[in-house]
Amino acid sequence: MIHQSAIVTADLLGKDPGWLIIVKTLLVFVFLVIMVLLSIWGERRVVARMQMRLGPNRVGPFGLLQGLADGIKLALKEDIVPKAADRIVFILAPIISATTCFMAFAVIPMTGQVSLLGRKTAFQLTDLSVGVLYILSIASVGVYGIVLAGWSSGSTYPLLGALRSSAQVISYEVAMGLSLVAVFLYAGSMSTSDIVASQDKWWYVVVLFPSFVIYTISMVGETNRAPFDLAEAEGELVGGFHTEYSSLKFALFFLAEYVNILTVSALATTLFLGGYRALPGLGFTERWLGGWFTFVWFLAKLLAFLFFFIWLRGTLPRLRYDQFMKFGWKVLIPISLVWTLIVSTLRALSLRGAPTAVIVGFTGGVVLILLVVGSLFEAAKRKEQEALSSVITKPSHFAVPQLPMSISTHRVPSAPSRSMEATDE
Amino acid sequence: MNFHVPVIQYAEVLPILIVLGAAVLGVLVEAFIPRSLRYVFQVVISLGSILLAFVAVVRLHGTSHVAVEGSVVVDGPTLFLQGTLLLLAIGGVLLIAERGLDTGGSAFTAHAATLPGSEAERTALASGIIQTEVFPLTLFALGGMLLFPAAGDLVTMFVALEVLSLPLYLMSGLARRRRLLSQEAALKYFLLGAFSSAFFLYGSALIYGYAGTVSLSGIREAISSNAGNDLVLLMGVALVTVGLLFKVSAVPFHAWTPDVYQGAPTPVTAFMAACTKVAAFGAILRLFYVGLSGLRWDWRPMLSGVAIVTMVLGVIWALTQTDMKRMLAYSSIAHAGFILTGVVAVNKAGLEGSLFYLAAYGFTTIGAFAIVTLVRDSTGEATHLSQWSGLARRSPLVASTFALFLLAYAGIPLTSGFVAKFAVFAAAYSSGSSALVIVGVLSSAIAAFFYIRVIVLMFFAEPKEDGPTVVVPPIMTTAAITLAASVTLVLGVMPSSVLDLIKSAARFTF
Amino acid sequence: MNLYIPILAIGAVGFGFAIFSVLAAALTGPKRYNRARLEAYECGIEPTPQAVGGGHIPIKYFLTAMLFIVFDIEIVFLYPWAVSFDHLGLFGLFEMVIFIATVFVAYAYVWRRGGLEWD
Repeated sequence: MIHQSAIVTADLLGKDPGWLIIVKTLLVFVFLVIMVLLSIWGERRVVARMQMRLGPNRVGPFGLLQGLADGIKLALKEDIVPKAADRIVFILAPIISATTCFMAFAVIPMTGQVSLLGRKTAFQLTDLSVGVLYILSIASVGVYGIVLAGWSSGSTYPLLGALRSSAQVISYEVAMGLSLVAVFLYAGSMSTSDIVASQDKWWYVVVLFPSFVIYTISMVGETNRAPFDLAEAEGELVGGFHTEYSSLKFALFFLAEYVNILTVSALATTLFLGGYRALPGLGFTERWLGGWFTFVWFLAKLLAFLFFFIWLRGTLPRLRYDQFMKFGWKVLIPISLVWTLIVSTLRALSLRGAPTAVIVGFTGGVVLILLVVGSLFEAAKRKEQEALSSVITKPSHFAVPQLPMSISTHRVPSAPSRSMEATDE
Repeated sequence: MNFHVPVIQYAEVLPILIVLGAAVLGVLVEAFIPRSLRYVFQVVISLGSILLAFVAVVRLHGTSHVAVEGSVVVDGPTLFLQGTLLLLAIGGVLLIAERGLDTGGSAFTAHAATLPGSEAERTALASGIIQTEVFPLTLFALGGMLLFPAAGDLVTMFVALEVLSLPLYLMSGLARRRRLLSQEAALKYFLLGAFSSAFFLYGSALIYGYAGTVSLSGIREAISSNAGNDLVLLMGVALVTVGLLFKVSAVPFHAWTPDVYQGAPTPVTAFMAACTKVAAFGAILRLFYVGLSGLRWDWRPMLSGVAIVTMVLGVIWALTQTDMKRMLAYSSIAHAGFILTGVVAVNKAGLEGSLFYLAAYGFTTIGAFAIVTLVRDSTGEATHLSQWSGLARRSPLVASTFALFLLAYAGIPLTSGFVAKFAVFAAAYSSGSSALVIVGVLSSAIAAFFYIRVIVLMFFAEPKEDGPTVVVPPIMTTAAITLAASVTLVLGVMPSSVLDLIKSAARFTF
Repeated sequence: MNLYIPILAIGAVGFGFAIFSVLAAALTGPKRYNRARLEAYECGIEPTPQAVGGGHIPIKYFLTAMLFIVFDIEIVFLYPWAVSFDHLGLFGLFEMVIFIATVFVAYAYVWRRGGLEWD
């Protein structure tokens, strides 16, 4: 249901005069750049701490200016365009990435209604009625930057890295899109401010927890971050699509990656964690500082997600490419589709005032079906494992190491068993 | 927001739903049934669903209703064409299901995506796989074909056009022999078809701009009340006509026909040649007779010109052909011209004539291509005309049946072709386009020449020493040929029952 | 319309920043020509000559893109349905269940046929 008590609406933001729009644009831009510098520093400090070392602490107090120093260093590097590269597209690709990543942040509601320079407005650039769809589409345009960078570099490793990165991004984009359907179902709108406004009673992280889990996993996959970052792993494809880039063009890709992380985290905050809303029970804080305290709440949730990203990077090992493609296509998509069906049926039942018995019965039936299907899957997997292990543990004349070794997900080719049969006389 | 729950008359769209549901079931069979059982399941599902759909069509006899909120119109012409399509599809599916003719197992390749001559293709051939994915593809195409003449607005027509075309693009590339030719045919069909669909869509947009609605009855009203800029409307009509004429392979949008008919596997050619024309002409009839009937003084000259050029050029090009499938392709272009002659006569007789011609032509086509699958040598089908000489010595029955089909194509009395041509030319004459009739008769005479030439070749020439053999047709092909031949004869000798059926059915609902 | 102007504004700011960076990179960096630096990078060894566009790109990338299109279109159909779900009644629910079931059939077919394998 669209809540009529939305305090930030498109009407409010539509009344902004031109100079206010420019002021807000610059504010958002500066906010993003500062957050990027902060997250570069934060990542290196936090990962270092997790690895029992100090991290950058020389440039500025606590090493806070490390990001800036990195930027200046990159600016002073030589700008190389490889001979085999397609010059125009080579220069265009980071520009596309950088432009689209900033544009995606335009509809994120960062505060409630505040007064800025004497006018009643909100710290949100604009509010489209299809806000979330806009963000997803701009993110898709950002994939162009990756693919064009790899293509125009004129060498194979960037091309393969770019293709892999983009294949990964689009695979997880499907899962991300599907996980948001339940949110729209409950909010009755795609506009970001309406979704924040509709989370006044319960945050969607509580009501739609599976959607939140799927969204979180797919947002990590979409931004090419650990543990899904094989496309840029140094041992695999050197630098992936930005191998041939140097100096500030490389910095633009770096910037675009971190702004993407911020955007998906901000989207997660908006859609699932209630945006700028205070924790339930602390609602009175939303009025502090003339409404600006909501920004503190938003920032706190954003930083929590950022820490979560960094934590994942510092803790989890990389997944193999085929493992996480399999995960994205074969696990996330069916789960999201089934969850969408469950949510829509439950909502339809509750809207029609079905008695609780029906709802409980339906939920129970769904759980039962899922258990049955899950056990069938388990049985099939167990059979496959037995078949594999019977092949490996056959006695043979060859020195076979002591097994239990965990068997990879690839099927063992049938050739070894044939040769083992032959030597078994 | 007031949401008005749409009323869907499921009974009236039941034939389409049955065929599409069977197609989805076919996809599930492909996914889950083990390979050895797939063929049986698919043949049963395909033939069963087509028969069920035909029963549903028969039960709808006499309905005259605009269904599904104006998107589907179920009236006499729709039901007649759907019934014809389903019967033709039975013949087509019987040919597609035939496994006893080709030494490799079926007329379809094992693995369509491999490069011809590559290692992967050799492995696929050696594995002996016979794929059955053709069946759900055929059913999807058939579902689109059933919807195409029944469309009540331009958007539904476009959706049906795409649903019927996309599987056909794919099926054209599945021939087992001469893979390169087959893949070329599929690519050409796809590219040209995509372009023509784009033309259709752009034309629909222009017509929408004129009329403010895409529904055919709404367009009709807008034309009668002169709602807007005529130029926009005429441009839209021109573009839509381009899209539709591509599908029926009228000149100058015929370029795909010879290559695709030759390159596609012959069962698919049979299905495509017969059913696509029926469906597409159904759509043309509905668009021009229902939607644009008020504009007839504008489109009649255009279509008359197209019909004349199609008839003349179709027969002239067919004269020089040396490949049987290409010759039949060019002759089908000529027949499209003949049917357009009936369309141009904007009266009930024209409608009846076109409907009868479609039915007659469809069955003759199925039969003719079925016989082409029977003449084989060591490399597959022997389609060069010289290889067909003296065929009557080896198998008089097959040669006589083929002669029957050729005579039906030529329009010789006692065959369905004669009654059809007579109906169409009579209608054209009664509506005043005597030029069309004269050109039509002359083209028929020229066409008769190359049809009779083949008959003479088969019966009176010496057979080649290492010539092809005529395989004894296994049961499915026999059934298809019998169906086609009997309909051709019955429609030629005793057409009155079908003509009466058409007469009662030939009334469009608005 | 005026709701989209801020988007243009931030797009212009981002674009301007990117152009400024690219120009600054060309100006502030040193220019020490070294022929080796212009070759494609392959961990220090001679780059294997390979046609970038002419070499065969594995078909599985194309397949993934095609499947993405199919499921993205499904998502596009799901979004407006979800937004106006409360007003659509049971009819809306049933129709969408049938739609999702049909897409599931296609998904199952692709799964079984190995279209989702990546190795």
